[in-house]
Amino acid sequence: MTTWLRVIASRLRAVVTRQRLDHEFDDELRDHLESLTEAYQAAGMSHAEARRAAVLKLGHPQQLREANRDHRGMPLLEAVAQDLGFAFRTLRKSRGFTVVAVLTMALGIGLCSFLFSFMNGFVLRAAPGMRDPSRLVALQAPVTYQYFESYRDRSRIASATAAFIGPAPFSVAVEGAGAAPERIFGHLVSPEYFSTLGVTPVLGRFFDPDSDPLGGAAVVVVSERFWRMRLNADAHAAGRTLRVNGRRATIVGVAQKDFLGVLPATAADLFVPVTANAAVAPELAGGVLHNTASSIFKVLLRLAPKVTMAAAEAALDAQTRQLDRQNGKRNPDRDKQGRVVRLVMAGGIVPTTPELRAFVVAGWGLIITLILSFTCANLAGLILARGSARGREIAIRLSVGASRSRLMRQLLMESVVLAIAGGAAGLAGAYGILNRPIPGLHVSAFPSGLVVTPDLRVALITLCISALAGAGFGLMPALASTRPDLVTSLKEISPASGIRYRRFGLRNLFMAYQMAAAMLLVLMMGFAIIGIERGANRSGPGFDTTGVYLFSVDPMRDGYSPGDSAALLADLPERLARVSGVDGATLAEPNAFSFMPPQLSAVSVQANPGDKETVHHVSLQKIGPGFFAALGLHVVRGVESGFRDLRSDSDTSAMLPVVINQSAAQQLFGSGDPLGRLIRQGDQIFLVAGVAQYEKSAVFQRASVPAVFLTFTMKDLQHGGPLVVVRVRKGVGFAPLRSEVKAIDSRLTMFDVQTMEKYLAQFNEALKYPTSIYGAVGMFALILACVGLAGVTAQAVVRRRKEIGIRMALGARRPQVLRLVMKEAAAMVLVGSVLGIAGAVVLVRLLIWASASFGALNPESMEPAQVVGPPLLLIAVAVIACYLPARRSSTIDPVSALREE
Amino acid sequence: MAQSKLDLLQGTLDLMVLRTLSALGPLHGYGIARRIEQVSGDEVLLNQGTIYASLVRLQQRGWISADWGVSNNNRRAKYYSLTKKGAKQLVAGTENWDRITAMMGRVLTMENGGGEE
Repeated sequence: MTTWLRVIASRLRAVVTRQRLDHEFDDELRDHLESLTEAYQAAGMSHAEARRAAVLKLGHPQQLREANRDHRGMPLLEAVAQDLGFAFRTLRKSRGFTVVAVLTMALGIGLCSFLFSFMNGFVLRAAPGMRDPSRLVALQAPVTYQYFESYRDRSRIASATAAFIGPAPFSVAVEGAGAAPERIFGHLVSPEYFSTLGVTPVLGRFFDPDSDPLGGAAVVVVSERFWRMRLNADAHAAGRTLRVNGRRATIVGVAQKDFLGVLPATAADLFVPVTANAAVAPELAGGVLHNTASSIFKVLLRLAPKVTMAAAEAALDAQTRQLDRQNGKRNPDRDKQGRVVRLVMAGGIVPTTPELRAFVVAGWGLIITLILSFTCANLAGLILARGSARGREIAIRLSVGASRSRLMRQLLMESVVLAIAGGAAGLAGAYGILNRPIPGLHVSAFPSGLVVTPDLRVALITLCISALAGAGFGLMPALASTRPDLVTSLKEISPASGIRYRRFGLRNLFMAYQMAAAMLLVLMMGFAIIGIERGANRSGPGFDTTGVYLFSVDPMRDGYSPGDSAALLADLPERLARVSGVDGATLAEPNAFSFMPPQLSAVSVQANPGDKETVHHVSLQKIGPGFFAALGLHVVRGVESGFRDLRSDSDTSAMLPVVINQSAAQQLFGSGDPLGRLIRQGDQIFLVAGVAQYEKSAVFQRASVPAVFLTFTMKDLQHGGPLVVVRVRKGVGFAPLRSEVKAIDSRLTMFDVQTMEKYLAQFNEALKYPTSIYGAVGMFALILACVGLAGVTAQAVVRRRKEIGIRMALGARRPQVLRLVMKEAAAMVLVGSVLGIAGAVVLVRLLIWASASFGALNPESMEPAQVVGPPLLLIAVAVIACYLPARRSSTIDPVSALREE
Repeated sequence: MAQSKLDLLQGTLDLMVLRTLSALGPLHGYGIARRIEQVSGDEVLLNQGTIYASLVRLQQRGWISADWGVSNNNRRAKYYSLTKKGAKQLVAGTENWDRITAMMGRVLTMENGGGEE
C-alpha cells in the first residue's frame, strides 16, 4: 500500500544526496571489481588479464553508474532540471534574442492579463464574505414587501429569501469620537438578509424579528472594515452607539470579514433593519412594509438544491402573475418573452444575467485568444529563425547521438522559460497599472467592492497560459529544427540552410497569420474607439462652466423630517443666490450632467390643436427654479419658473408648467408656436411655458435630444437630496457658500463639493481610459506585426542568399532582386490583410447583433474612414517593415554567396 | 559469451536476491552476484553489474537494508541484509512463484486431443 510512497521518498532522498550516493556507488563498484580481479588472479590469470576479464564480467562502470542513477533517483526530474539549466545558459548567451522574445511575451501576456483582470473584476469574481455565492439570485425589478413575504413563505424554489433596499446613503458618526459625520452607504435589510447570504457575525448578533420589532429601538450592524477603521476593532463594539442620519442607533453586531453586502459594486458598510424608524432611514417613510404601492424592495433568493435559475424564474413568474391578479394590478413591464419576473445572478460584484456573462466571457475571451495566438505566432517565427541559425549545432548534436526527444525537450524548455519569464513580467506590469485607482471609479475611505487588481486566480491562470503558450509556440519550431537534413546541414558553411526553402512554408504561414490578426485587432479596436467617441461629445456641456460649483446636501440624513427637508431645499437656492459674489443658484437631478445618454419617456401631444394625439419620446428632467439663468442658458421664448413657483406649488395642480428645448419644440409642434400648448404623460399634463436653448440634456451627448424640463415639486424634494448648482463670480471661490450653508444649519453635511470643470473632467477621464486601452491593444498589434514581418523577411533573405547570388551572377540587377523578395512579402501582407478585414467584418456584425440584444454599446456600423484608414496605415507600415530587411538582399555579394557552397 | 541468458519474469531476480540474503546472511554485491551465478549455473545475470539495479529496487521498498562494513580482504564494502519486511516478502514471493510454476506446469503438460467436442 504505502510501498510506492516509500519508493518516491527514497528516490527524492537520492536526488538530494546525489553526490554522496555517487561516491558510495563508485566505492562499491571498485570493491566489486577488485574482488573479481583477485578471483581471476587466483584462478591463474595475469593481473592485466584478470582486470580485463573482471570488467567484462561486471559490465562497463560508466554504464552501471548511469543505470544506478536512473534507478535510484528521479531521472525525468533530473533531466528536466538539467534542461532548465541548459535553457538558462543558452538564453543568457543570446541576449538580444532573449530580450526581444521576453518583451514580446510580456506585452502580449500583460495585455491579456490586464483584460482578464477586468473581466474577472466585473463578472467572474464572487462577492467576498458569503457562503456559496453561485446559488444566489435576485429579482431584477424591486417589489413590495407583501410580494417578498409571499415569495419567502410560499415558494419552494429557494432555501432562503431576503429583501433589502440599497445601496442607500447614510450620514454616520461614532458617538463620543468627536468626528464629523461622514457619508457611507448601507443596506436596509429584512431579518433574513444575513442568513440568506450565509454570513456570520464576528461580533454580536444580526437581526431577528423578536429582538428588533417594528418601530423598536434603533439597531445597526456594521461591516468588519468599519469596525476596524472607525471603532478601532473594539472588542466591546456591540452595544456602542452611532449617530445614523442624526439619530442614535446601537451597534448589535459586526459582519464577517470582507463582507461588503450583496452586489458590492457599491459597498455596504452599514446594515439597518427594515423595521427601523423612518427617522433613521428616510427610505422607510410612509409605512413601506405595508404599503402596497411601494415597490422598492429588492428580493434575494438562495436557490434550493437542484433548482435551476430558469426553473426558479418560471415559478416566480407564475407566482407573481397570481399576486398581480389578486391585487388587481396590471403589470405592463413584460419583457420580450412575456415574463414579468426576470432573475439575475446575485453572487457577483454586479448583477449579471447568464447571457450577459456568456457574452462578456466569449467576447473578451476572443480578444484575449487573438492577442495570445498572435503573440505566439510572432514568437514561433522568432524561434524558428533562431532554430535555423542553430541548424548546425542541432545537426552536430543529433549526429553524435543526442536523441531527438531530448533535443526537442531542451528546445521546448527554452521557449517555456522565455514564456514564463515574459508572462511574469507582463503580469507584474498589469498589476502595476491596475493597482492604481481607475478613473471613473469612486474613491473614498470605504472603497467599492469592485476590484480589478489581478488576484491569485488571474496570476495562476496567466502563468499557466504563459507556460502553455511557451510549449505551443516552441513545439512547431522544435519539430522543424530537429528534423534537418543532417548531411546538408553539416556540409554547408552558410549558417542557415538546414531546411529547403519553401514558398508556402511554416514561416510564411506565420507571416500571413500575423498580418491577419493584426488587421483584425486594429479594426476591432478602431471600431470600439469610434463607438466610444461617437457616444461622447468633447465639445462640452453646452454652457459656460467657469465659476460653476456643484455640491449636494441631504437634510434627511442630517435628521430632518421629509417636510422640513423639502422646505429647506426649496429655500436653499434663493439664499445662496443672495450671497455676494454669487451670480445664480439652482437645483438639478443628481445625474443631470452625467455622460450616460438620458432615458426617454413616451409623451403624447396634439401636433395642432384638435388633431389626433401623437406619441413622442423625450427626455424628462427635473430642474430647480432659475435653472437656465444660473447656467447662463437662454430661454428664447416664454419664461422659466422662479423661486416663488416652487414654494407655491401644490400637488393637486393638474397642469405643471414646463420648459422644453428647441429640438422638442421642433419635434413635438413643428413650426407651430409651442407656448401654451399641452404635453401629456399618462394622467399628468404639462403646459409649455418656455423654450430654452439647451440641446444637450446629457453632457457628451452629440445628437440633440428632445427634452422636457419640469420644475421640482415639494413632493419631489421629500425624496432625497438633489444636486445644488451655483455660479460664482471670478475669484470668489466656494468659501462664502460653505459659510452660508453653515449659517442655515450647522448640522447640514455638504458632500461631493467640486467645480463643474472637475466633475466633467472625471467623465472625460472615464472615457479616455477604455479608449487608451483599446488604443494600446491596436498599437501592440501594429508593433508586433512589424517586428514579426521584419524578422521573417530578414530570414528569408538569409535563406535565399545563394539563390540571389546565382541570380545576380547571371545578370539580375539589384532592383530586380529586391522586387523578388518584396513580391513574396507583399503577397503575404495582402493575403493576411484580406483575411483580417473579412474576420473583422464578421466580428463587427456579431458585436452589433449582440449589443442590440444586450444594449451594451451603441455601435451601428463601420465607418468608411475606419475601414480604409487603419488598414492602409497597417499595410504601409508592414511593407516598410518588410522593405528594410529586404534591402539587405541587394547588398549580397554574388561571389562570396556562391563561394560558400 | 553466453548467448542466451534466461529471459526472466519481472521481479524474479529480486526474489533470488532475497533468498540469497536469507540463506547466507549479510553479503556485499559481489558475494550476492557470485552466489546467484554459482547456484543458477551462470544463466541469470547478463553481467554482475545487473545485480545493483535489483539491490536499489529492494532498498527502495525497504525489503533489504545496507550498511558499510569491512570485507575479508580489509576493504570498505557495503553489506546488504534482509529486513523483516523483506523476509515476509520472500515468503509471499515464494508462494506466488510456486503457484505460477505449478499452474504453468499443468498447462504446458496437458495431453493432446482431450478437448471438448
